[in-house]
Amino acid sequence: MPQKKQRKAIRPGVCFPWEEKVKEYPVILGDPKIVQKAWEELDSLAYLYLWFCIMQS
Amino acid sequence: MPQEMEGRYQERLARYVAAMKKEKPDRVPIRPFAAEFAGKYAGYNNQQVTHDVDLAFDAIMKCARDFDWDATVGNMVYVWTGLTEAAGLNYYAIPGIDKPPTDAFQYVEPPDEESAFMKADEYDEFIADPTGFIANVWMPRANRYVVPLGEPSTAKNNLAWLKGGMAMLHYFNKFGAQIARLKNETGTVHAIAGCLKAPFDILADKFRGFRQLCADIHRQPKKVLAACEALRPHMYYCAVAGADPTKTVPISIWLHRGCTPFLSPKQFETFFWPTCKKIIEDLHAEGRQVLWYAEGDWNPNLKYIAELPEKSIIYHVDRADPFEVYEKVGHKFAISGGVPNDILAYGTPDEVRARCKEVIDRIGKNGGYIMDAGAIMQDDSTIANIKAMTEFTVEYGVYR
Repeated sequence: MPQKKQRKAIRPGVCFPWEEKVKEYPVILGDPKIVQKAWEELDSLAYLYLWFCIMQS
Repeated sequence: MPQEMEGRYQERLARYVAAMKKEKPDRVPIRPFAAEFAGKYAGYNNQQVTHDVDLAFDAIMKCARDFDWDATVGNMVYVWTGLTEAAGLNYYAIPGIDKPPTDAFQYVEPPDEESAFMKADEYDEFIADPTGFIANVWMPRANRYVVPLGEPSTAKNNLAWLKGGMAMLHYFNKFGAQIARLKNETGTVHAIAGCLKAPFDILADKFRGFRQLCADIHRQPKKVLAACEALRPHMYYCAVAGADPTKTVPISIWLHRGCTPFLSPKQFETFFWPTCKKIIEDLHAEGRQVLWYAEGDWNPNLKYIAELPEKSIIYHVDRADPFEVYEKVGHKFAISGGVPNDILAYGTPDEVRARCKEVIDRIGKNGGYIMDAGAIMQDDSTIANIKAMTEFTVEYGVYR
Protein backbone atom coordinates (compact mmCIF):
# COMPACT_ATOMS: atom_id res chain seq x y z
CA MET A 1 0.00 0.00 0.00
CA PRO A 2 1.57 3.34 -1.02
CA GLN A 3 2.18 5.65 1.93
CA LYS A 4 -0.02 8.64 2.70
CA LYS A 5 2.14 11.31 1.05
CA GLN A 6 2.27 9.43 -2.25
CA ARG A 7 -1.51 8.93 -2.43
CA LYS A 8 -3.14 9.57 -5.79
CA ALA A 9 -6.19 8.27 -7.58
CA ILE A 10 -6.02 4.51 -7.96
CA ARG A 11 -8.44 2.63 -10.18
CA PRO A 12 -11.01 0.17 -8.76
CA GLY A 13 -9.65 -3.30 -8.07
CA VAL A 14 -6.21 -2.04 -7.13
CA CYS A 15 -4.49 -1.29 -3.81
CA PHE A 16 -0.84 -1.20 -4.85
CA PRO A 17 -0.55 -0.68 -8.60
CA TRP A 18 1.75 -2.89 -10.63
CA GLU A 19 3.22 0.25 -12.15
CA GLU A 20 4.55 1.10 -8.67
CA LYS A 21 5.46 -2.44 -7.71
CA VAL A 22 7.56 -3.06 -10.81
CA LYS A 23 9.86 -0.19 -9.85
CA GLU A 24 10.99 -2.26 -6.84
CA TYR A 25 12.67 -4.83 -9.11
CA PRO A 26 16.09 -3.89 -10.47
CA VAL A 27 15.40 -6.34 -13.27
CA ILE A 28 12.96 -9.16 -13.96
CA LEU A 29 14.95 -12.02 -15.42
CA GLY A 30 11.99 -14.03 -16.69
CA ASP A 31 8.57 -13.13 -18.11
CA PRO A 32 7.32 -9.96 -16.35
CA LYS A 33 3.72 -10.75 -17.35
CA ILE A 34 3.72 -13.80 -15.09
CA VAL A 35 4.92 -11.67 -12.19
CA GLN A 36 2.37 -8.98 -12.99
CA LYS A 37 -0.55 -11.43 -13.24
CA ALA A 38 0.11 -12.94 -9.82
CA TRP A 39 0.64 -9.52 -8.26
CA GLU A 40 -2.55 -8.04 -9.66
CA GLU A 41 -4.68 -11.10 -8.92
CA LEU A 42 -3.80 -11.04 -5.23
CA ASP A 43 -3.81 -7.27 -5.01
CA SER A 44 -7.42 -7.30 -6.21
CA LEU A 45 -8.32 -9.67 -3.35
CA ALA A 46 -6.85 -7.19 -0.88
CA TYR A 47 -8.92 -4.49 -2.56
CA LEU A 48 -12.06 -6.58 -2.19
CA TYR A 49 -11.32 -7.23 1.47
CA LEU A 50 -11.14 -3.51 2.17
CA TRP A 51 -14.27 -2.67 0.22
CA PHE A 52 -16.32 -5.62 1.42
CA CYS A 53 -15.67 -4.42 4.98
CA ILE A 54 -17.27 -1.17 3.85
CA MET A 55 -20.11 -2.81 1.92
CA GLN A 56 -21.35 -5.03 4.72
CA SER A 57 -24.46 -3.85 6.51
CA MET B 1 -27.26 -34.08 -8.40
CA PRO B 2 -30.19 -36.52 -8.65
CA GLN B 3 -32.26 -36.01 -11.80
CA GLU B 4 -35.37 -35.19 -9.80
CA MET B 5 -33.54 -32.41 -7.94
CA GLU B 6 -32.07 -31.03 -11.15
CA GLY B 7 -35.57 -30.93 -12.63
CA ARG B 8 -36.93 -29.13 -9.58
CA TYR B 9 -34.10 -26.61 -9.69
CA GLN B 10 -34.61 -25.86 -13.37
CA GLU B 11 -38.36 -25.49 -12.89
CA ARG B 12 -37.85 -23.02 -10.05
CA LEU B 13 -35.14 -21.12 -11.90
CA ALA B 14 -37.36 -20.74 -14.96
CA ARG B 15 -40.24 -19.53 -12.77
CA TYR B 16 -38.08 -17.01 -10.93
CA VAL B 17 -36.33 -15.67 -14.02
CA ALA B 18 -39.57 -15.33 -15.98
CA ALA B 19 -41.12 -13.24 -13.22
CA MET B 20 -38.03 -11.01 -12.98
CA LYS B 21 -38.32 -10.38 -16.73
CA LYS B 22 -41.97 -9.39 -16.30
CA GLU B 23 -43.15 -12.54 -18.00
CA LYS B 24 -45.88 -14.87 -16.78
CA PRO B 25 -44.41 -18.11 -15.37
CA ASP B 26 -46.46 -21.18 -14.43
CA ARG B 27 -47.12 -19.64 -11.01
CA VAL B 28 -46.02 -16.79 -8.78
CA PRO B 29 -42.50 -17.59 -7.54
CA ILE B 30 -41.71 -17.40 -3.83
CA ARG B 31 -38.44 -15.83 -2.74
CA PRO B 32 -38.30 -15.11 1.01
CA PHE B 33 -35.18 -13.66 2.59
CA ALA B 34 -35.08 -15.59 5.84
CA ALA B 35 -32.62 -14.08 8.31
CA GLU B 36 -33.06 -14.80 12.04
CA PHE B 37 -36.36 -16.48 11.16
CA ALA B 38 -34.38 -19.40 9.74
CA GLY B 39 -32.58 -19.84 13.07
CA LYS B 40 -35.84 -19.76 14.95
CA TYR B 41 -37.33 -22.35 12.62
CA ALA B 42 -34.29 -24.61 13.02
CA GLY B 43 -34.16 -24.20 16.80
CA TYR B 44 -31.18 -21.83 17.06
CA ASN B 45 -31.01 -18.50 18.85
CA ASN B 46 -29.64 -15.32 17.33
CA GLN B 47 -26.19 -15.71 18.82
CA GLN B 48 -25.90 -19.13 17.20
CA VAL B 49 -26.87 -18.04 13.67
CA THR B 50 -24.92 -14.78 13.84
CA HIS B 51 -21.65 -16.04 15.29
CA ASP B 52 -21.59 -19.66 14.06
CA VAL B 53 -21.95 -19.46 10.31
CA ASP B 54 -22.28 -23.23 9.92
CA LEU B 55 -25.43 -23.16 12.04
CA ALA B 56 -26.72 -20.25 9.96
CA PHE B 57 -26.20 -22.28 6.79
CA ASP B 58 -27.84 -25.35 8.33
CA ALA B 59 -30.84 -23.27 9.36
CA ILE B 60 -31.42 -22.11 5.80
CA MET B 61 -31.02 -25.66 4.53
CA LYS B 62 -33.78 -26.78 6.89
CA CYS B 63 -36.05 -24.01 5.62
CA ALA B 64 -35.25 -24.88 2.00
CA ARG B 65 -36.05 -28.53 2.62
CA ASP B 66 -39.31 -27.89 4.45
CA PHE B 67 -40.78 -24.88 2.59
CA ASP B 68 -41.57 -24.84 -1.11
CA TRP B 69 -39.50 -21.72 -1.82
CA ASP B 70 -38.27 -21.17 -5.34
CA ALA B 71 -35.34 -18.99 -4.33
CA THR B 72 -33.71 -17.73 -1.17
CA VAL B 73 -30.32 -16.63 0.18
CA GLY B 74 -27.76 -19.00 1.69
CA ASN B 75 -27.40 -16.90 4.83
CA MET B 76 -29.49 -13.77 5.16
CA VAL B 77 -28.15 -12.92 8.61
CA TYR B 78 -25.21 -12.24 6.33
CA VAL B 79 -22.82 -10.44 8.69
CA TRP B 80 -20.86 -13.30 10.25
CA THR B 81 -19.72 -11.75 13.50
CA GLY B 82 -17.01 -14.39 13.88
CA LEU B 83 -15.36 -12.57 10.98
CA THR B 84 -15.93 -9.09 12.36
CA GLU B 85 -14.47 -10.11 15.73
CA ALA B 86 -11.43 -11.76 14.12
CA ALA B 87 -10.81 -8.63 12.08
CA GLY B 88 -11.42 -6.31 15.05
CA LEU B 89 -14.21 -4.20 13.51
CA ASN B 90 -15.69 -2.08 16.26
CA TYR B 91 -19.10 -1.01 14.97
CA TYR B 92 -21.22 -4.09 15.57
CA ALA B 93 -23.28 -4.98 18.60
CA ILE B 94 -23.11 -8.75 18.65
CA PRO B 95 -25.69 -11.07 20.21
CA GLY B 96 -24.08 -13.09 22.97
CA ILE B 97 -21.27 -10.53 23.43
CA ASP B 98 -22.68 -7.01 23.50
CA LYS B 99 -26.33 -7.98 23.62
CA PRO B 100 -28.42 -10.86 24.90
CA PRO B 101 -28.11 -13.98 22.70
CA THR B 102 -31.75 -13.56 21.69
CA ASP B 103 -31.23 -10.09 20.15
CA ALA B 104 -30.31 -9.50 16.52
CA PHE B 105 -26.92 -8.00 15.63
CA GLN B 106 -26.83 -4.24 15.10
CA TYR B 107 -24.66 -1.84 13.17
CA VAL B 108 -23.77 1.01 15.51
CA GLU B 109 -23.18 4.16 13.54
CA PRO B 110 -20.83 6.79 15.00
CA PRO B 111 -23.26 9.40 16.34
CA ASP B 112 -21.16 12.58 16.16
CA GLU B 113 -18.32 14.37 14.45
CA GLU B 114 -15.78 13.30 17.02
CA SER B 115 -16.43 9.60 16.50
CA ALA B 116 -17.09 9.74 12.72
CA PHE B 117 -14.85 7.44 10.67
CA MET B 118 -14.23 10.34 8.28
CA LYS B 119 -14.02 13.93 9.46
CA ALA B 120 -15.66 16.95 7.83
CA ASP B 121 -12.32 18.29 6.59
CA GLU B 122 -11.15 15.00 5.05
CA TYR B 123 -13.27 15.02 1.88
CA ASP B 124 -10.38 15.97 -0.40
CA GLU B 125 -8.19 13.18 0.93
CA PHE B 126 -11.05 10.70 0.54
CA ILE B 127 -11.96 11.86 -2.96
CA ALA B 128 -8.34 11.64 -4.14
CA ASP B 129 -8.03 7.97 -3.23
CA PRO B 130 -10.97 6.22 -1.54
CA THR B 131 -9.19 2.85 -1.33
CA GLY B 132 -6.12 4.34 0.31
CA PHE B 133 -8.37 6.25 2.69
CA ILE B 134 -10.12 3.04 3.74
CA ALA B 135 -6.83 1.20 4.34
CA ASN B 136 -4.93 3.96 6.04
CA VAL B 137 -7.49 6.21 7.73
CA TRP B 138 -10.83 4.39 7.98
CA MET B 139 -9.53 1.02 9.12
CA PRO B 140 -7.60 2.32 12.17
CA ARG B 141 -10.71 4.18 13.28
CA ALA B 142 -13.21 1.40 12.58
CA ASN B 143 -11.01 -1.31 14.00
CA ARG B 144 -9.96 -1.78 17.61
CA TYR B 145 -6.61 -3.37 16.68
CA VAL B 146 -5.34 -1.64 13.54
CA VAL B 147 -2.94 1.21 14.30
CA PRO B 148 -2.74 4.40 12.23
CA LEU B 149 0.06 5.02 9.75
CA GLY B 150 3.20 6.30 11.41
CA GLU B 151 2.53 4.70 14.77
CA PRO B 152 4.46 1.65 15.95
CA SER B 153 2.89 -1.59 14.77
CA THR B 154 1.63 -4.14 17.25
CA ALA B 155 1.08 -7.87 17.21
CA LYS B 156 -2.67 -7.26 17.37
CA ASN B 157 -2.47 -4.96 14.36
CA ASN B 158 -0.62 -7.57 12.32
CA LEU B 159 -2.99 -10.33 13.32
CA ALA B 160 -6.08 -8.21 12.65
CA TRP B 161 -5.09 -7.75 9.01
CA LEU B 162 -4.18 -11.41 8.63
CA LYS B 163 -7.20 -12.84 10.40
CA GLY B 164 -9.62 -10.46 8.73
CA GLY B 165 -8.49 -11.46 5.26
CA MET B 166 -8.41 -15.15 6.09
CA ALA B 167 -11.85 -14.96 7.69
CA MET B 168 -13.37 -13.33 4.64
CA LEU B 169 -11.88 -15.95 2.32
CA HIS B 170 -13.12 -18.65 4.67
CA TYR B 171 -16.63 -17.19 4.70
CA PHE B 172 -16.90 -16.74 0.96
CA ASN B 173 -15.57 -20.24 0.32
CA LYS B 174 -18.23 -21.58 2.66
CA PHE B 175 -20.85 -19.41 0.98
CA GLY B 176 -20.01 -20.92 -2.40
CA ALA B 177 -20.44 -24.40 -0.97
CA GLN B 178 -23.74 -23.35 0.61
CA ILE B 179 -25.09 -22.16 -2.74
CA ALA B 180 -24.19 -25.56 -4.23
CA ARG B 181 -25.87 -27.33 -1.29
CA LEU B 182 -29.05 -25.36 -1.78
CA LYS B 183 -29.12 -26.37 -5.42
CA ASN B 184 -28.02 -29.99 -5.10
CA GLU B 185 -29.85 -31.00 -1.93
CA THR B 186 -33.05 -28.96 -2.19
CA GLY B 187 -33.32 -27.71 -5.78
CA THR B 188 -33.48 -24.12 -4.52
CA VAL B 189 -32.17 -21.18 -6.52
CA HIS B 190 -29.78 -18.73 -4.87
CA ALA B 191 -31.79 -15.56 -5.33
CA ILE B 192 -29.07 -12.93 -5.66
CA ALA B 193 -25.35 -12.56 -6.29
CA GLY B 194 -23.27 -9.44 -5.82
CA CYS B 195 -23.86 -6.57 -3.47
CA LEU B 196 -24.41 -2.94 -4.40
CA LYS B 197 -24.88 0.11 -2.23
CA ALA B 198 -25.69 3.62 -3.33
CA PRO B 199 -22.66 5.91 -2.98
CA PHE B 200 -24.63 8.31 -0.78
CA ASP B 201 -25.64 5.47 1.54
CA ILE B 202 -22.06 4.28 1.89
CA LEU B 203 -20.88 7.82 2.59
CA ALA B 204 -23.52 8.09 5.32
CA ASP B 205 -23.27 4.59 6.78
CA LYS B 206 -19.57 4.02 6.85
CA PHE B 207 -17.75 7.31 6.57
CA ARG B 208 -19.50 10.45 7.80
CA GLY B 209 -22.51 9.09 9.68
CA PHE B 210 -25.95 10.18 8.55
CA ARG B 211 -26.25 13.11 10.98
CA GLN B 212 -22.91 14.56 9.93
CA LEU B 213 -23.68 14.01 6.24
CA CYS B 214 -26.96 15.91 6.64
CA ALA B 215 -24.92 18.91 7.78
CA ASP B 216 -22.44 18.43 4.94
CA ILE B 217 -25.12 18.61 2.24
CA HIS B 218 -25.76 22.17 3.41
CA ARG B 219 -22.24 23.21 4.39
CA GLN B 220 -20.17 21.58 1.63
CA PRO B 221 -22.57 20.18 -0.98
CA LYS B 222 -19.98 20.07 -3.77
CA LYS B 223 -17.70 17.92 -1.67
CA VAL B 224 -20.56 15.50 -0.97
CA LEU B 225 -21.31 15.22 -4.67
CA ALA B 226 -17.63 14.71 -5.49
CA ALA B 227 -17.33 12.03 -2.81
CA CYS B 228 -20.35 10.18 -4.25
CA GLU B 229 -18.76 10.38 -7.68
CA ALA B 230 -15.45 9.08 -6.28
CA LEU B 231 -17.30 6.14 -4.74
CA ARG B 232 -19.30 5.29 -7.86
CA PRO B 233 -16.70 3.24 -9.81
CA HIS B 234 -15.82 1.30 -6.66
CA MET B 235 -19.46 0.46 -5.95
CA TYR B 236 -19.80 -0.72 -9.53
CA TYR B 237 -16.62 -2.81 -9.34
CA CYS B 238 -17.62 -4.50 -6.08
CA ALA B 239 -21.12 -5.24 -7.38
CA VAL B 240 -19.76 -6.95 -10.48
CA ALA B 241 -17.00 -8.76 -8.55
CA GLY B 242 -19.60 -10.76 -6.65
CA ALA B 243 -22.20 -11.01 -9.39
CA ASP B 244 -23.52 -14.08 -11.20
CA PRO B 245 -21.18 -14.64 -14.18
CA THR B 246 -24.12 -16.01 -16.17
CA LYS B 247 -26.09 -12.80 -15.41
CA THR B 248 -29.12 -14.89 -14.47
CA VAL B 249 -29.83 -13.77 -10.90
CA PRO B 250 -29.73 -10.10 -9.96
CA ILE B 251 -27.28 -8.02 -8.00
CA SER B 252 -29.00 -6.67 -4.90
CA ILE B 253 -28.91 -3.04 -3.84
CA TRP B 254 -29.78 -2.57 -0.19
CA LEU B 255 -31.25 0.89 0.03
CA HIS B 256 -30.91 2.67 3.32
CA ARG B 257 -31.54 6.38 3.68
CA GLY B 258 -32.37 8.01 0.39
CA CYS B 259 -36.08 7.75 1.06
CA THR B 260 -38.37 9.99 3.04
CA PRO B 261 -38.21 11.03 5.80
CA PHE B 262 -34.39 10.84 5.69
CA LEU B 263 -34.05 12.92 2.52
CA SER B 264 -36.58 15.12 0.76
CA PRO B 265 -37.28 14.19 -2.88
CA LYS B 266 -35.27 17.25 -3.91
CA GLN B 267 -32.27 16.16 -1.82
CA PHE B 268 -32.68 12.66 -3.21
CA GLU B 269 -32.63 14.04 -6.74
CA THR B 270 -29.52 16.11 -6.06
CA PHE B 271 -27.34 13.93 -3.87
CA PHE B 272 -28.53 10.34 -3.89
CA TRP B 273 -29.88 9.66 -7.32
CA PRO B 274 -27.31 10.70 -9.97
CA THR B 275 -24.57 8.24 -9.03
CA CYS B 276 -26.96 5.48 -7.99
CA LYS B 277 -28.82 5.77 -11.29
CA LYS B 278 -25.61 5.74 -13.33
CA ILE B 279 -24.40 2.52 -11.70
CA ILE B 280 -27.69 0.75 -12.42
CA GLU B 281 -27.69 2.03 -15.99
CA ASP B 282 -24.14 0.76 -16.47
CA LEU B 283 -25.03 -2.64 -15.04
CA HIS B 284 -28.09 -2.80 -17.28
CA ALA B 285 -25.99 -1.94 -20.31
CA GLU B 286 -23.97 -5.08 -19.75
CA GLY B 287 -27.03 -7.26 -19.28
CA ARG B 288 -27.36 -7.30 -15.49
CA GLN B 289 -30.49 -6.81 -13.40
CA VAL B 290 -30.57 -5.23 -9.96
CA LEU B 291 -32.89 -6.16 -7.13
CA TRP B 292 -33.97 -2.72 -5.92
CA TYR B 293 -34.50 -3.58 -2.26
CA ALA B 294 -36.39 -0.49 -1.17
CA GLU B 295 -36.31 -0.72 2.61
CA GLY B 296 -38.76 1.80 4.04
CA ASP B 297 -41.13 3.83 1.87
CA TRP B 298 -39.65 5.03 -1.43
CA ASN B 299 -42.92 5.98 -3.15
CA PRO B 300 -42.22 9.75 -3.05
CA ASN B 301 -39.21 8.94 -5.28
CA LEU B 302 -41.04 6.79 -7.82
CA LYS B 303 -40.87 9.40 -10.58
CA TYR B 304 -37.09 9.24 -10.44
CA ILE B 305 -36.89 5.48 -10.25
CA ALA B 306 -39.16 5.31 -13.29
CA GLU B 307 -36.32 6.88 -15.27
CA LEU B 308 -34.37 3.61 -15.13
CA PRO B 309 -34.35 1.39 -18.22
CA GLU B 310 -37.15 -1.14 -18.55
CA LYS B 311 -36.46 -4.38 -16.60
CA SER B 312 -33.18 -2.98 -15.27
CA ILE B 313 -34.47 -3.54 -11.74
CA ILE B 314 -36.84 -5.77 -9.83
CA TYR B 315 -38.65 -3.35 -7.54
CA HIS B 316 -38.94 -4.75 -4.03
CA VAL B 317 -41.59 -3.12 -1.82
CA ASP B 318 -41.15 -2.92 1.94
CA ARG B 319 -43.33 -0.45 3.85
CA ALA B 320 -44.66 1.48 0.87
CA ASP B 321 -48.02 0.99 -0.83
CA PRO B 322 -47.28 -1.80 -3.36
CA PHE B 323 -50.32 -0.94 -5.44
CA GLU B 324 -49.05 2.58 -6.02
CA VAL B 325 -45.68 1.09 -7.02
CA TYR B 326 -47.48 -1.17 -9.49
CA GLU B 327 -49.49 1.73 -10.89
CA LYS B 328 -46.48 4.03 -11.33
CA VAL B 329 -43.65 1.69 -12.36
CA GLY B 330 -45.31 -1.72 -12.86
CA HIS B 331 -45.24 -1.19 -16.62
CA LYS B 332 -41.42 -1.14 -16.53
CA PHE B 333 -40.27 -3.37 -13.69
CA ALA B 334 -41.18 -6.67 -12.05
CA ILE B 335 -42.24 -6.25 -8.42
CA SER B 336 -41.58 -8.31 -5.32
CA GLY B 337 -42.65 -8.11 -1.69
CA GLY B 338 -45.61 -6.14 -0.43
CA VAL B 339 -46.51 -8.52 2.41
CA PRO B 340 -45.75 -6.41 5.50
CA ASN B 341 -43.51 -7.95 8.14
CA ASP B 342 -45.96 -6.58 10.73
CA ILE B 343 -48.59 -9.02 9.48
CA LEU B 344 -46.07 -11.88 9.42
CA ALA B 345 -45.13 -11.11 13.03
CA TYR B 346 -48.41 -10.08 14.61
CA GLY B 347 -51.15 -11.15 12.19
CA THR B 348 -52.95 -14.44 11.83
CA PRO B 349 -52.49 -16.97 9.02
CA ASP B 350 -55.88 -15.88 7.64
CA GLU B 351 -54.70 -12.27 7.52
CA VAL B 352 -51.51 -13.37 5.76
CA ARG B 353 -53.50 -15.36 3.18
CA ALA B 354 -55.81 -12.38 2.62
CA ARG B 355 -52.87 -10.06 2.02
CA CYS B 356 -51.17 -12.53 -0.32
CA LYS B 357 -54.42 -12.87 -2.28
CA GLU B 358 -54.77 -9.10 -2.59
CA VAL B 359 -51.18 -8.69 -3.79
CA ILE B 360 -51.43 -11.54 -6.30
CA ASP B 361 -54.81 -10.32 -7.60
CA ARG B 362 -53.79 -6.69 -7.98
CA ILE B 363 -50.07 -6.90 -8.85
CA GLY B 364 -49.34 -10.43 -9.97
CA LYS B 365 -52.30 -11.18 -12.19
CA ASN B 366 -50.29 -10.85 -15.40
CA GLY B 367 -46.96 -12.19 -14.13
CA GLY B 368 -43.96 -10.08 -13.18
CA TYR B 369 -44.51 -10.53 -9.46
CA ILE B 370 -42.46 -12.43 -6.85
CA MET B 371 -43.98 -13.28 -3.48
CA ASP B 372 -41.94 -12.10 -0.49
CA ALA B 373 -42.17 -10.35 2.83
CA GLY B 374 -41.59 -6.61 2.82
CA ALA B 375 -38.20 -6.97 4.48
CA ILE B 376 -35.86 -9.71 5.58
CA MET B 377 -37.63 -12.00 8.00
CA GLN B 378 -36.25 -11.85 11.52
CA ASP B 379 -37.28 -13.98 14.45
CA ASP B 380 -40.55 -12.13 15.01
CA SER B 381 -42.11 -13.68 11.90
CA THR B 382 -44.17 -16.63 13.05
CA ILE B 383 -43.72 -20.08 11.58
CA ALA B 384 -47.47 -20.42 11.03
CA ASN B 385 -47.55 -17.19 9.03
CA ILE B 386 -44.58 -18.10 6.83
CA LYS B 387 -46.21 -21.46 6.15
CA ALA B 388 -49.43 -19.64 5.26
CA MET B 389 -47.63 -17.27 2.87
CA THR B 390 -45.83 -20.15 1.19
CA GLU B 391 -48.68 -22.64 0.94
CA PHE B 392 -51.23 -20.06 -0.16
CA THR B 393 -48.96 -18.83 -2.96
CA VAL B 394 -48.17 -22.33 -4.17
CA GLU B 395 -51.88 -23.06 -4.42
CA TYR B 396 -53.45 -19.74 -5.37
CA GLY B 397 -50.55 -18.29 -7.35
CA VAL B 398 -50.88 -20.75 -10.25
CA TYR B 399 -51.50 -19.05 -13.62
CA ARG B 400 -54.23 -20.86 -15.48
